[in-house]
Amino acid sequence: MQTRRLRQSSRDNINGFLFALPWILGFLIFSVYPLIASLYYSFTEFNAVTTPVWVGLDNFRQIFKDPLVLKSLKNTLFMVLVSTPVNLLIALLLASVVVRNFKGRGLVRTIFFLPSVIPMVAATMVWIWMFNPTYGFINSFLEMLGINGPSWLINPRWTKWALLLMGTWNTGTTMLICMAALQDVPTSYYESAEIDGANALKSFVYITIPSIAHVLVFQMILNMIKSFQYFQQVYVIINASAGNGTSVASGGPANSILMYPLYLFQNAFVYLKMGKASAMAWLLFIVVSLMSLLTTKLSRRATENAGVE
Amino acid sequence: MKKLLSILLVTMMILSLTSVASAAGASSDGRTVLTFWYNNSGDEAAPFEQIVENYNNSQSTYFVEGLSVTDQQKIIVAMASNETPDIVKTSTSSLNMYQTNGLLDSLQPYMDAEGYDTSNFMEPSLAAMKIDDNMYALPFSCYTIQMYYNKDILESIGYSEPPKTMEEMYEMAVKATTLDDKGNIDVLGYPLFPLASARQELVYGFGGRWWDEEGNFTPNTQGAKDSLTYNMQYRELYGIERVAEFIAAANTNRYTEQDMFFVGKQLFRIDGNWLPTQMQGYGSTVNYGITLIPGTQSNPEYLGSSRLECGCACIPLNAPNKEGAWDFIKFLSNEESAKLIDISNGYPPALVTLFDDADILAIPGMAEFIDATSVGVPVQYPANINYSKYTSLIDEHLDYIYNGIMTVDEGLNELESRVNSEF
Repeated sequence: MQTRRLRQSSRDNINGFLFALPWILGFLIFSVYPLIASLYYSFTEFNAVTTPVWVGLDNFRQIFKDPLVLKSLKNTLFMVLVSTPVNLLIALLLASVVVRNFKGRGLVRTIFFLPSVIPMVAATMVWIWMFNPTYGFINSFLEMLGINGPSWLINPRWTKWALLLMGTWNTGTTMLICMAALQDVPTSYYESAEIDGANALKSFVYITIPSIAHVLVFQMILNMIKSFQYFQQVYVIINASAGNGTSVASGGPANSILMYPLYLFQNAFVYLKMGKASAMAWLLFIVVSLMSLLTTKLSRRATENAGVE
Repeated sequence: MKKLLSILLVTMMILSLTSVASAAGASSDGRTVLTFWYNNSGDEAAPFEQIVENYNNSQSTYFVEGLSVTDQQKIIVAMASNETPDIVKTSTSSLNMYQTNGLLDSLQPYMDAEGYDTSNFMEPSLAAMKIDDNMYALPFSCYTIQMYYNKDILESIGYSEPPKTMEEMYEMAVKATTLDDKGNIDVLGYPLFPLASARQELVYGFGGRWWDEEGNFTPNTQGAKDSLTYNMQYRELYGIERVAEFIAAANTNRYTEQDMFFVGKQLFRIDGNWLPTQMQGYGSTVNYGITLIPGTQSNPEYLGSSRLECGCACIPLNAPNKEGAWDFIKFLSNEESAKLIDISNGYPPALVTLFDDADILAIPGMAEFIDATSVGVPVQYPANINYSKYTSLIDEHLDYIYNGIMTVDEGLNELESRVNSEF
């Protein structure tokens, strides 16, 4: 009886393994192998055609000597450190509004979420048009208020702020998750706070934020990682507008929107420096890991101080 | 039963994975299949599709399958892998990049073996295909960039002839530039758009070169400095940001009905031979003329200096059917096919016998551009493995200069030191 059960269990295991095999194969071929290969290539000079030549740490030395690596890292860190918290704050504020009971809230939720389902390339093209200093919507609107709008995607001092503005439009997914988290906060907390004389702001700071801190931290890390991978928008802007027209630099006006992943891509597929690009990818991996670790540790401490599990 | 189903499932999956590999090889009538990638799409792809059909009907050994692939990254990745096409249609700058990265097979052995006659190709076009004395492609079209001018604007500021020197051109440009009531540029006098022409022809006209004849980089020449000095003088005169805004709007509308030159908002435009056909298509009523890029007062021999870009076809190093590829390339570059491409896409020919072809000369602007290829100074792209990165460095530093972040001297000196440290 026991032998039969054992045979049945091992047969189940084999069947289970066979069903999982396609995914395992895909994971090994498309994730594990490229990961290991890129680590190897990062120590070689390789142009995707000729045999890789071992150069030791040369690519890493080159990275630290290349001023554009530093510049692209700075640009990316701007998106990580400025854009991420701003977007999270906007998403949280929007979630606080749409979580309330009011007439037409379904429509409002849909409107706020809608930008998230629009393809990024199409949305970016619309933004390029809106940012046009001569006939764009944004400067026309500012002009109505008596403000002389800047040359958003032309002046290197304004380009990153334009990206930040673009990002605020796309906070629908984060808003949705924050909204779900807000719905989980027991209403009794707010009732008690109200009895104790807390106003709306105090309730928000002392009840809402600590109660959903774990969700906010998770979203923060996800958005940070997303910012470190900032590529599509700048690629479209540079190719469709700045790169061919106002600027000839491959990173937008004076390389002000040259993001780290874009420069990595250029090294790999424009300059065919696969070795250097692989080294850059590993550097990015290390930086993202460290930032995520730091955020998790800081937030854990903050959550513990706030007395929330 | 369950076991049988599992085995069947896995077998089907393995078969589906491996079946991809056996798809290529021979056509249904037993001919060897050749794959041909061309980087044109839409109407521009039509002549290549027609040539493929003509070739397939002309012989019974090979069957060409044409595919429009416009993404250069995709082409590079394919050429580097075992999934490469047999023939790739490209242009001179990409050809050099492919060759210096070891992606191409030389055509020289095939040409030598059968004593292929190249006397009908224009000499500069052959030079553009040659790297280290080896031919890597055969051309079918070749173009330079020259200067268009708006005759009405020129007359309104008191001139009847276009400029022959850069000094004259600048003088005319300042007189022709007009601003609207908000201070925005309404008519751009100096040909700062497109920026690619400002980096190339506007520098070549001053005698500047970004590389020497051996392909070594020369980032800080007097000609480049002179060109950029005029460029910045104009930008500063009307405001760096105002000029940039005009260029941004011009770029958005480039080659559309609202193109700045097509609507009479540019006095000079340094561009290719396709402009007249486009203007005709959009019904532009601008009264224009075509002239050679000016030289300078001290060096009038720089007149007509321009990049020389050729349309051509080459064989990737990993191509599976190189003999067939060579056969198709010869067909693609013969007089009949070249004429079809040149007429359909409005390119000046690379074949000398097509220079006085009535159908080709009937294309607006073509006669002037054919003349320019024989009178002007062609600038060949360098065969240097670091060319892409170098261009990117030039662009980066031009951008610092254009935006007023660096002066001309600072920008070129910094560029020189970056080039020295990187290559």
